[in-house]
Amino acid sequence: MTGDPLAQAERGVSLWRDAWLRLRRNRLAVAGGLMLILLCALALLTPWIAPYDYKAQDLALGAAPPSAAHWLGTDTLGRDLLTHVLWGGRISFAVGFVATAVALAIGVLYGTVAGYVGGRVDAVMMRLVDILYALPFMIFIILLMVIFGRNLVLLFLAIGAVEWLTMARIVRGQVQALKQQEFIEAAVSLGLSRWTIIRRHLIPNTLGPVIVYTTLTIPSVMLLEAFLSFLGLGIQPPASSWGLLISYGAETMEEYPWLLIFPGLALSLTLFSLNFLGDGLRDALDPRIAKD
Amino acid sequence: MLRFILHRLLQAIPVLLVVVTATFFLIRLAPGGPFSADKAVAPEVLHALEARYRLDQPLSAQYLSYLGDLLRGDFGPSFRYPGRSVDEMIFTGLPATAELGLYALLISLLLGTAAGVIAALRPNSAQDYVPMSAAMIGICLPSFLLGPLLILVFGIWLDWLPVSGWGNVPGDKLLPALTLAAGYTAYVARLSRGGMLEVLAQDYIRTARAKGLPEWLVVCKHGLRGGLIPVVAFAGPAFAGLLSGSFVVETIFQIPGLGRFYVQAAFNRDYTMIMGTTIFFAVLIVAFNLLADIAAVWLNPRLRQQYRKPAA
Amino acid sequence: MALLEVEDLSVWFHTRNGVVRAVEQVSFSVDAGETLAIVGESGSGKSVCCYSLLGLVPMPPGRIESGRARFAGRDLLRLAPRQLRAVRGNQIATICQDPMTCLNPFLSLGEQLMEPLLQHRKVSRRAARAQALELLEEVGIADAGRRFGAYPHEFSGGMRQRVMIAMALIAEPKLLIADEPTTALDVTIQAQILRLIAEIQARRNLGVIFVSHDLAVVADIADHILVMQDGRVVERGAPRTLFRDPQHPYTRKLLAASRRGRKAAPPPPQREPVIGIEGLRTWFSAPGGRTVKAVDDVSLTLYRNEILGVVGESGSGKSTLGRSILQLVKPTAGSVRLGGTELTRLNESALRPLRRHLQMIFQDPYASLNPRMSVFDALAEPLRYHRLASRRDVTAQVLALMDDVGLPRSAIRKYPHEFSGGQRQRIAIGRALATRPEVVVADEPVSALDVTIPAQILDLILALVARHNLSLIFISHDLSVVRYLCDRVLVLHRGKAVESGATEELWAAPQAAYTRELLAAAPRLD
Repeated sequence: MTGDPLAQAERGVSLWRDAWLRLRRNRLAVAGGLMLILLCALALLTPWIAPYDYKAQDLALGAAPPSAAHWLGTDTLGRDLLTHVLWGGRISFAVGFVATAVALAIGVLYGTVAGYVGGRVDAVMMRLVDILYALPFMIFIILLMVIFGRNLVLLFLAIGAVEWLTMARIVRGQVQALKQQEFIEAAVSLGLSRWTIIRRHLIPNTLGPVIVYTTLTIPSVMLLEAFLSFLGLGIQPPASSWGLLISYGAETMEEYPWLLIFPGLALSLTLFSLNFLGDGLRDALDPRIAKD
Repeated sequence: MLRFILHRLLQAIPVLLVVVTATFFLIRLAPGGPFSADKAVAPEVLHALEARYRLDQPLSAQYLSYLGDLLRGDFGPSFRYPGRSVDEMIFTGLPATAELGLYALLISLLLGTAAGVIAALRPNSAQDYVPMSAAMIGICLPSFLLGPLLILVFGIWLDWLPVSGWGNVPGDKLLPALTLAAGYTAYVARLSRGGMLEVLAQDYIRTARAKGLPEWLVVCKHGLRGGLIPVVAFAGPAFAGLLSGSFVVETIFQIPGLGRFYVQAAFNRDYTMIMGTTIFFAVLIVAFNLLADIAAVWLNPRLRQQYRKPAA
Repeated sequence: MALLEVEDLSVWFHTRNGVVRAVEQVSFSVDAGETLAIVGESGSGKSVCCYSLLGLVPMPPGRIESGRARFAGRDLLRLAPRQLRAVRGNQIATICQDPMTCLNPFLSLGEQLMEPLLQHRKVSRRAARAQALELLEEVGIADAGRRFGAYPHEFSGGMRQRVMIAMALIAEPKLLIADEPTTALDVTIQAQILRLIAEIQARRNLGVIFVSHDLAVVADIADHILVMQDGRVVERGAPRTLFRDPQHPYTRKLLAASRRGRKAAPPPPQREPVIGIEGLRTWFSAPGGRTVKAVDDVSLTLYRNEILGVVGESGSGKSTLGRSILQLVKPTAGSVRLGGTELTRLNESALRPLRRHLQMIFQDPYASLNPRMSVFDALAEPLRYHRLASRRDVTAQVLALMDDVGLPRSAIRKYPHEFSGGQRQRIAIGRALATRPEVVVADEPVSALDVTIPAQILDLILALVARHNLSLIFISHDLSVVRYLCDRVLVLHRGKAVESGATEELWAAPQAAYTRELLAAAPRLD
């Protein structure tokens, strides 16, 4: 016998690879993912690819339907709609990602601690989540926005502060279920330290549902921002967001329907992509499917 | 059961207290007061107004006296609409909001459950894909977008239905109810599909089939009860949301409901009005969560037994 | 004319990953009053074969490719769904393996019990109720009137299976399909249920198809036995001839699994105690202020290179005993001494370095391995953590472990889900051995495995105990396994040790009444 015995070792297929293969077979999820990459790229590159200057007006032109010069038409001040949809998308994506990151950080930490420590600490922590759940949060956010001014950072924090509750519950449930698994008991009986167990055995196994839920949180956050902006409580002019554009478009839709339709389309397309990707990820990462 | 309800009612007290306290101090922390917007008000008048609404007293005293009023069921007078009490305004807005919410709930439960169950009966077929794609559209078209679109299509282009109002012209309730229901219908459809898929894979469904029961009985008697538990859990908070979250729809369709008061009150710093509506919605949420929990316990014999009085 | 005559039945599943031939050209017949046993491992097609007759196999992906099934003058496979429904639960009834999952948890037992009658007979609810109550008494449920409105979770496993049987019989079928009806039950309960089915069969002249993985269970009740493997019938015959002279190697394998015999040669007694347990108690507080005495005053000594069996039914506290010894559950009172160290007094951080001397092998090899860690990761982790291997020789040591437990070296980069149950259990055993322990507790390590697999795992365990000079506590509900493996046995009943002694002595002359009951209830081939 010669050489390294590992040379002829078969390559294993980890659950991640397995999930990836399954995800690739889901055409809707792949389409959603690709669309998302495209939209993100557009949002990132907006300053360079936007056809017009953000502040450029053409009062003489006024609101014009889509044309070769203005692909999506112009608004009543003669501003190019495509430019505004692009800039609005930047804000919407930023809100979506940052607020979700806030929710993710708080939720995962809180949920892991509650689930792993268990007992009385867990009871108190989850009681608190229950209480927060029962608060009329929408109203609190509106109140915050009205009272403290329309501040982007505050918006991130406020939305993140609402969305972490569900994340915490999901992570806690996951950790609790894992804690009962025999492989955790096996790790304890191997004499591994608490931290090693959390790091090597718990966290990698909670990651699946967390990823899925994150993908599904982003659209709901973007929706919330659009909703607040629609009410005039989120992003303020001259900055733009899809919610603001939709609100503006709704006012003038009778005469200039494209002002409603195109921003609406942009928002819906993004939400579609995220939801299809999230659903696809859930199916791909579901351990019950992975078993057979 | 009674003990369970009582227990939950007791738990609601700290929740409501947190809501009251947090809102009370939050709005008073904010810059600006209810009368600061009116520049024309003379200092003497302002003092008189503040004295009348007890705004000149220390915060703790204001808080305590407000709690005292609350206990008597008195939300206090509106700061912005002199001569009208908050209770009065809530009750003038409530009927339209409640009616709209009820329609939306009925639509979403009936349509959503039906779509979800139909989809679950033949997963991964056209019978699954069509309703579920529709549900995805419902989720991705928020009410503030769907409402204007519906108005544009059915109200303006086709001119089939009235575009605004509430109870003035026949058919004017249809579009707002549909708009409000769309998202919830989609959620209910997805939840009931998931629940039914899980239940229909259970061994006891095969047992029911092995007894020779016809398929509709297998699905309705043996499947629905378990399959709809997630829907019930969702319906409670959802209905509270329907009642409080309808201000977009109320604004778009110009419905004289509760929602508008809230946003106005927030903009106007109408302290008592903000407090009143917030507390009202909090009570709604608590109440409907409780109802959903009761329904869940009623549906699930295992939970039912847990809350039954232990035999002596 | 046979009651049911199946000819040439083939059922295939058309899945995304290709065609699975679940049942291939199976023929058999059952007469009234006769029992046909279909025996095979999971995946052998024995259940699909039965359920496809009643149209209870999901189609698609399933499809009946060929065959005939004559029953009462008609071909079941060619009946319209409506006509087939009139047969199900009416002329042919089924009972299934796990009454917990097969009874609807949301409906009362009475309601479920009456359903077949209400569906197939034109009877009033009142008449159906009266008949159901009568039948409940017949299957041995006392106080049926009061329990009519109760829900499945309020009954014990054995009681639920009785209800299930009553439900199957209520419309007075001619044929009963029993799919592993006793597999989820304790031995003593299993004996009762088997007796009940036999009584009812004699009284009503029922034809019975009894599906099982265990030849020993069907030995006494079957008139004919069909042995299935991979969808095909590999052997058939009357029990006596089949047992005396099995033709097919697979039948022989199954027989060997049920006829395990006794331990070859007990090693010379070494009386060097490794672990000593004195007055161990592990109590839990249960809801309602009750105390569950899972382990109640158990004392034992484990000697070097010895295999001690701990036997008991579900709820006897045998698993808790194992975990209490390893300090995975903190005992309430008593002492556990390893060498000179009293383990119960140590806190977790003091215990951690000692844990490597005490290892555990779990029942479910699916749950006991981290699904995100490859074989290498799983085996290298304890080696690295306890510094039993240097960075350079860790791979070599992992490979040595894999050789030890009979895993192919080429599988080192694979993940648990890519292995069969038996292979996974080998990984778990390898992980337990990695820390070079003195004491290993094995908690039902073979009961989640398919029939022919345990023999290999048991022989592996025997070899490893000898090779590594281990002391093993082997927890099991299966008496034949314990007899095959263990030097001494401790019988546990409701948390208390009712009897202990050398294995063969205990089998020859059980002292405690409970031990006698347990030994009598165990199904045996000879």
